[in-house]
Amino acid sequence: MSSSDQTPTKAPASIGARIFNFFSGFGLATTLLLLLGILTWLATLEQVERGLLPTLKKYFDSSSFFFTPELKSLTFGERQLKIPLPGGYWVCLLLFVNLFLGGILRARKGWKHAGNLISHAGILFLIVAGGVAQWKEVRGNLALRQGETSDVAEDYSEYVVEVSELKDGKPENIHVIRGEHLNDLQPLNGGTFQWFVHKAYGLDTSGSTPRDFKLPDFPFDLQINGWMTNCQPVSAVERAPEMNELITDGYYLVRKPDEKQAEANTAGCYARLLNRDGTAGQPFILAATSFHGYTVKVGERVFLFDIHKRYWPLPFKVRLNKFTATFAPNTMKPESFVSEVTRIEDGHEIPATIQMNEPMRNHGLTFYQASYGPQGERDPGKMFSVFEVVQNPSDQWPKISIAIVAFGLALQFILKLVIYINARFNS
Amino acid sequence: MKLTDFPLRGLNCRTIAAAMKTLASLALVAVISISSCRKPPTEVTVTETRVSTSKDLAPKLFATSDQRFRDAKASPVQAPTPDGWLAMPATQMRLLNYRFGESGLGEVWVSVSSGSVLDNVNRWLGQFNATKLDAAGLNALRNVPVAGEPGVWVEAEGDYAGGMGAPSRSGYALAGVVADLGGRILTVKMVGPKAEVATAKATLESYAKSLTLAQ
Repeated sequence: MSSSDQTPTKAPASIGARIFNFFSGFGLATTLLLLLGILTWLATLEQVERGLLPTLKKYFDSSSFFFTPELKSLTFGERQLKIPLPGGYWVCLLLFVNLFLGGILRARKGWKHAGNLISHAGILFLIVAGGVAQWKEVRGNLALRQGETSDVAEDYSEYVVEVSELKDGKPENIHVIRGEHLNDLQPLNGGTFQWFVHKAYGLDTSGSTPRDFKLPDFPFDLQINGWMTNCQPVSAVERAPEMNELITDGYYLVRKPDEKQAEANTAGCYARLLNRDGTAGQPFILAATSFHGYTVKVGERVFLFDIHKRYWPLPFKVRLNKFTATFAPNTMKPESFVSEVTRIEDGHEIPATIQMNEPMRNHGLTFYQASYGPQGERDPGKMFSVFEVVQNPSDQWPKISIAIVAFGLALQFILKLVIYINARFNS
Repeated sequence: MKLTDFPLRGLNCRTIAAAMKTLASLALVAVISISSCRKPPTEVTVTETRVSTSKDLAPKLFATSDQRFRDAKASPVQAPTPDGWLAMPATQMRLLNYRFGESGLGEVWVSVSSGSVLDNVNRWLGQFNATKLDAAGLNALRNVPVAGEPGVWVEAEGDYAGGMGAPSRSGYALAGVVADLGGRILTVKMVGPKAEVATAKATLESYAKSLTLAQ
């Protein structure tokens, strides 16, 4: 057979088409779905050893491009087996691109395939919901005893510094310095850092530099340095500082290793006032373990400086009327917790019941029955109920996306059935 | 080959181009995100405020560091710290708290206690396994005023068992004053190595006499 008789070979695809094929292909989709399964499995194992929040951050936060799982089962002797894995956030993003290109752009069009397209759109919507939750979701908790009323939830892990003016003994005009502006003020080498090291010891330039927080409403600014995510104020006469830490009013901050459960960390820092005349006040310690905030008088005005988990004012008040806990017989294993609450809003009182898998939703907030305390207590009258408060614009989106996917699949099934019956009928 | 003959099912070059633009945009966003690591600011203007909530109770004004970090209550008695003594942070049980002596083991503290003067004197003596006193024995003790009120001077030596599970320490001595201040028992107690207590006894007596009630 001469060459001219051969069937013409298919022209090789261009580079653009090859890239498109790769990003829209089934191979990539399968790999990404497998990776997500592995990441979820490993994260579930690792959170037992390292705590939930740090593990979620490590596996699924946008700041984590690649990481190495740290599991006891992957440790051989003294050596940890290092398997680099891509961050879950980026895997999801790539899966979105893959599904969009392969499941929408490249997929067969036409009414016969409408169900497929709708199902793929539903999955895309689900991934978008995850992305929105990643960036916009806020989680906190609210603990209430029976008869107690509150209008504020507390963030799980974010510490803030607050500056307020005391009027009639109560804080007003409360200014909040968020954790994002504080977390990078950590001293690099133990306790020392530039501004707070006594000059007698020489300036240490390896640590962080202080940050000035401008407070236009107040007659001073605030300078903060030496932020530590987990620390404890210690009396210098009881334990001498080991790393040239600044001693102020007989105390200094001792850094502690981060807790396994990030919410158990107690942050702290050093601060000082920067007066409008250019002078600076004496440094003082702000510590989350403090019993009282730091107050200072400037002229005739009194100001309060405090550090605590971020308060999250709610648009209504919640009163716990009754808390009922039931346990498995002769054990402390919980069977059910029921909180009967009253939502107080604009003078109206609306009763509601919160229990496991039955949250209360209002104003874009969802209250879940999370836990109770004190541990070991069985008398509901002495217990407090803990709600997890979640603000997530995409809270209901997964439900919608699942409905879309289910509708798409049902439509596709019905279309296929109609086409099959029609074909059989015609033949 | 014509543009519309691009070898992908149901697609033409325009679709491919749109898809590639999407990819390029995503890549650009990723690059911008990565390159947005800028130098941290040295100055931030605080604009975020929040409303007052049920958690914002009236704070304790001008709390000392001991009060802030230990919840130590302000001492109802005051006295200047003698030379050579080291003032320590107060604790729940010690209103005023000091260390003294070269060994670093000598301790002096001022407390408010329950019971009677005799109860407390006998409790101290019991810690040294010394013979307990009766009312006559109490009356025979030397008088040392504390905060303007009469107190009794107590001494003991031997093996010191301070209680709370602490092991017994031999070669120790005790000196101190117990006084009844209108129904409240105030104690000034010195415990330490025998020789150091013997040297510091006179200072302790002066210190006890200098105690005053806080306003």
